[in-house]
Amino acid sequence: MATDWVSLATQLIWILLFILIFTGANQKIQMRLWSYDIRNKLSVIKSYLDRDRTRVEKQLKNLGVKSPDILIKRAMDFFIIQPVDIEPTDIIKRLEHLIITGDRSFKKMVEQAIPTATKYERSLVETGLSIVGVLNQIYKIVRHYLLSGEKENNWILLMQLEMAMPQIMRIVETYHKSLDAFLTGTPIGDSIGPLVAHRLIELGKIVSKKVVEDTSITELWLDDRRIYVIKAEGPGSNVGRPGRVLYDLVEQLKGGVDLVVTIDAALKLEGEETGEIAEGIGAAIGDPGPEKIAIERATTKYGIPLKALVIKMDLGEAIHTMKKEIYEAGEKALEHVRRIILESTKPKSTIIVAGIGNTLGVPG
Amino acid sequence: MIFDQNTMLILTIIALAILIIQLYMEYRRKPKQAKYIPKELVKCRKCGYEIERDYEPGDFISLVKGKCPKCGGELIVKAIYSVKLEERKA
Repeated sequence: MATDWVSLATQLIWILLFILIFTGANQKIQMRLWSYDIRNKLSVIKSYLDRDRTRVEKQLKNLGVKSPDILIKRAMDFFIIQPVDIEPTDIIKRLEHLIITGDRSFKKMVEQAIPTATKYERSLVETGLSIVGVLNQIYKIVRHYLLSGEKENNWILLMQLEMAMPQIMRIVETYHKSLDAFLTGTPIGDSIGPLVAHRLIELGKIVSKKVVEDTSITELWLDDRRIYVIKAEGPGSNVGRPGRVLYDLVEQLKGGVDLVVTIDAALKLEGEETGEIAEGIGAAIGDPGPEKIAIERATTKYGIPLKALVIKMDLGEAIHTMKKEIYEAGEKALEHVRRIILESTKPKSTIIVAGIGNTLGVPG
Repeated sequence: MIFDQNTMLILTIIALAILIIQLYMEYRRKPKQAKYIPKELVKCRKCGYEIERDYEPGDFISLVKGKCPKCGGELIVKAIYSVKLEERKA
């Protein structure tokens, strides 16, 4: 008797499975599961966003802003429209113009809200607001695809989103954790380029120093050579305009430069060691284009050798407080740069060294 | 396609065991995230005395941080970095 019941149950299960497969209901169940999982992850993103927003709000209140909501709302939804790329003529100029205008407008917006704050404090607020803006953008995009997928019963869209969620969550967590460094002012992994440049300045005999467009140019004598060190002006959160400044400097020197070396943090591939140093040719800079092309154009115009030194790290390490391994790699990179200079140039040569990256916590 | 009760029970137990093993392996595969704390290395300009301290918000590299306890020279922040919390406890 019992065997009959088991047999009946088994038959029923099979019939049910066939019905599910033929009517496509199995996909609907799968879709519900994906949708449920994405919703859970979306609520995690929302909680990060709310927490980070509250922290920036507190920071603004400490700086004397009575209603920080207005500034946060404006900054969170701030955007830059990419230039037309089906007509590539002068696209770099247009892109550069948009980036500069965007940057200035954003800075002006913050300055108007906290006029009494120092440049250093303002730079930390600006980056804090940018991080909240990034999280808000990711939150809205994920929510958009989730709701669209549910509305249109588009299980392919939901499946793609579900598959991409681990990567999205990793990026979200990276940005969320990076706020600690930007609120306290500790150097981040990306500050390694400016840090090496700063160490080089400390070693040499300073001849002159000036600041152009948030970027410092220090002329010094070291190892019987004239070295111009370019880096973003610190110690605030700032990347400066090293490409444009380098271009203008090469023009001022009428091309009389024997070597250009760029030092930057580079994203490592999975499996590579953090703090690994690699030497190569080209401009080590990860901007959207205008800064990199300025370095390439300046060196190409006068036939100046362009060398690059990179210190490897992952995205999290690049925007979180600098790890000790990265700091130690920076010390090695300093020796490496001096070796490149000694090997590639003769005494009395003129060299430009550019420390690329965010100079948070690194002065000069 | 007729199974007796014992076969069904064994199949269910095997399926459950596979599920538990798989969940356990998935849990173990997730790397545990290490905690990091920011530290600053303070160095005397005169005698080279060095000491690692807790980072104080707002400090930056090359900032003067008081007098050297050994020679009275200027102490400056030489480096700011984060270290693994486990390493510190060890």
